[in-house]
Amino acid sequence: MKITVKAFAMFREVMDMQIELEFPDGATVRTLLTSLTARYEGLSEVMFAAPDTLRDFVNILRNGRNIHFIAGLDTPLDNGDIIALFPPAAGG
Amino acid sequence: MDGYAGNMVYVDLSTGAITIKPTPPELKKDYIGGRGFGIRILTDMVDPKIDPLSDKNILVFAAGPLTGTGIPLGSRYEVSTISPLTGLAVSANSGGVFGWKLKKAGFDAVILSGKSAKPVYLFLDNGKAELRDAAHLWGKTTGETTEAIVDELKDQSVRVSCIGPAGENLVLISCIINEKTRAAGRGGVGAVMGSKNLKAVAARGDLPIKPADEVLLKGVKERVKKKIEENGIAKGLHDYGTAVLVNILNENYLMPTRNFQTAHFSGAEKISGETMTKTILKKPKGCYACIVQCGRVHEFDGETGEGPEYEPDWGFGADCGVDDLKMITRANNICNEYGLDAISAPTTIACLMEMAEKGYVNHPIRFGDANGMLKLVEQIARREDIGDELAEGSFRFATKYGHPELSMSSKKQELPAYDPRGIQGYGLATATSNRGGDHVYGYMISPEILGSPEKLDPYVITGKPQWVKTFQDLTAAIDASGMCLFTSFALGAGDYADLLTATTGVKVDSEELLKVGERIWNLQKLYNIKRGFGRKDDTLPDRLLTEPLKEGAPAGQVSRIHEMLDEYYALRGWDAEGIPTKEKLRELGLI
Repeated sequence: MKITVKAFAMFREVMDMQIELEFPDGATVRTLLTSLTARYEGLSEVMFAAPDTLRDFVNILRNGRNIHFIAGLDTPLDNGDIIALFPPAAGG
Repeated sequence: MDGYAGNMVYVDLSTGAITIKPTPPELKKDYIGGRGFGIRILTDMVDPKIDPLSDKNILVFAAGPLTGTGIPLGSRYEVSTISPLTGLAVSANSGGVFGWKLKKAGFDAVILSGKSAKPVYLFLDNGKAELRDAAHLWGKTTGETTEAIVDELKDQSVRVSCIGPAGENLVLISCIINEKTRAAGRGGVGAVMGSKNLKAVAARGDLPIKPADEVLLKGVKERVKKKIEENGIAKGLHDYGTAVLVNILNENYLMPTRNFQTAHFSGAEKISGETMTKTILKKPKGCYACIVQCGRVHEFDGETGEGPEYEPDWGFGADCGVDDLKMITRANNICNEYGLDAISAPTTIACLMEMAEKGYVNHPIRFGDANGMLKLVEQIARREDIGDELAEGSFRFATKYGHPELSMSSKKQELPAYDPRGIQGYGLATATSNRGGDHVYGYMISPEILGSPEKLDPYVITGKPQWVKTFQDLTAAIDASGMCLFTSFALGAGDYADLLTATTGVKVDSEELLKVGERIWNLQKLYNIKRGFGRKDDTLPDRLLTEPLKEGAPAGQVSRIHEMLDEYYALRGWDAEGIPTKEKLRELGLI
């Protein structure tokens, strides 16, 4: 299946702004992040506080919904999904 | 010393009488400063039945005990008055350097009453205060006014807070600007200043601002500095400014677009903080003692200025259907120069755009027309042509043409850059805000979208009333202290309490701090009730309550504030009509 990944703010300093990746059925957000951190040096450091633990205030959306409210890193992926990766950020 | 300047100055603009009095100890204890001082003084001095643009209204400029003490991000001051836009008691918060200078000039607060017979400005100078002629300044922009006063006083250290032509013209969505670009933005506070023929307040001084316990404060300062520096959010604000929110809200399908008709803007990337950093940003800039520096100094095509922040970037951008960052920036600069609220101005134009497209108003403007948008901003400030009607804000404008439902406002003040349909707690916070449509009286976007201090599901209503109450009370206390609200991404109530304890010498803990915030909130609420506001006003436009979002993950949702209101009132100790009970008022020392 084809997944579109979009990176924002300082994540763009370590990875492409947008990339399309192919994954087998059954892939999850964890699968995707494993693939990305292998592909982009430095991404793991800014994304994870510890293995399997995202840094505080990192937000990942699947089609506009925060994975925290789906199944976290176990959130399943479907063909055509858009994954948005946000580092800590705020405004107002 | 206790962090305070020590005095307040009362200026009767009708008679020219100036009276300086010590800042009362009980006012410090019960209301801290800033918003607390403003709301207490306003509600004590002004009959709730008055016309906000009459000489019976007052303006209070007040800093907090943490303003100007060298504490990171301790720079803020508040302007409190009765809003001519909403009719509510309002306080508008601004940063920059002016708040610090106000205290260095010797004053915790300036209370301006009456109306001058001719244009004047107030000069605060090392413990003295003097009214000076401003006839030569009338009609000038905020930048021109600031430079003229600094030149006149022959001192580059003078800081100026002033109105532009919009305030002079009694535009109900006008603001007060200090250092040319920092705004006490909301509620039409500029019009109140204009109604008093008061062009500016200038401050100069080098009086000491000393904490009660320098050793203790040094330790607390270091702790909060470390927390702010190590917080990832601070780095994001520095690198990308507040407009980093453009892509965040848009990817959540929650960025209001074309007058809240949708919540996803196809041109978001072009107007994002990321694009701003790559294109027009010259350098980040901070307020006094700021270690974050979320301000943006821009430069392009020979033009320079500051901003835009997220709100005007969204307002002139997505909400008006414009994806040209330079034009958005120019529109924001016009707001700064003329002294217009850079949230209400674009959203009022967006309201016109929808009404014009639907044929309710005969006007050529359409969504996406950046040149037409720029022209309208100037027309509003000058009250020229249709700008004279738009100067009354979107609610009065839309009502005049028979379609009040197209004003995206609450209590007649335009809503900021978040769609409440998919952010339930934020919807409740803005609907119950004491100053009308608003995002910084209880920034629920932080837990519901940004995940700070913890991730709350934005779609659910369970538990949200308690969060809203806590955020509103804590924010009132932060605004009273003089700290920037952005510190709350890294600090908790205990940190503010420790900063206050070390600075003022009066021991305060988290619970007491929140109690002060709750006292301020209830006092403002009580006054608004006396001005005729009630449960019927704690609501949002019908569009947000009945027209579901159509795109993305939040599709199908509407704001469910009315399912939360009873619980919110009960948590606040208010009755079913939203009126504080006697028990609550007694608990807060308000009766």
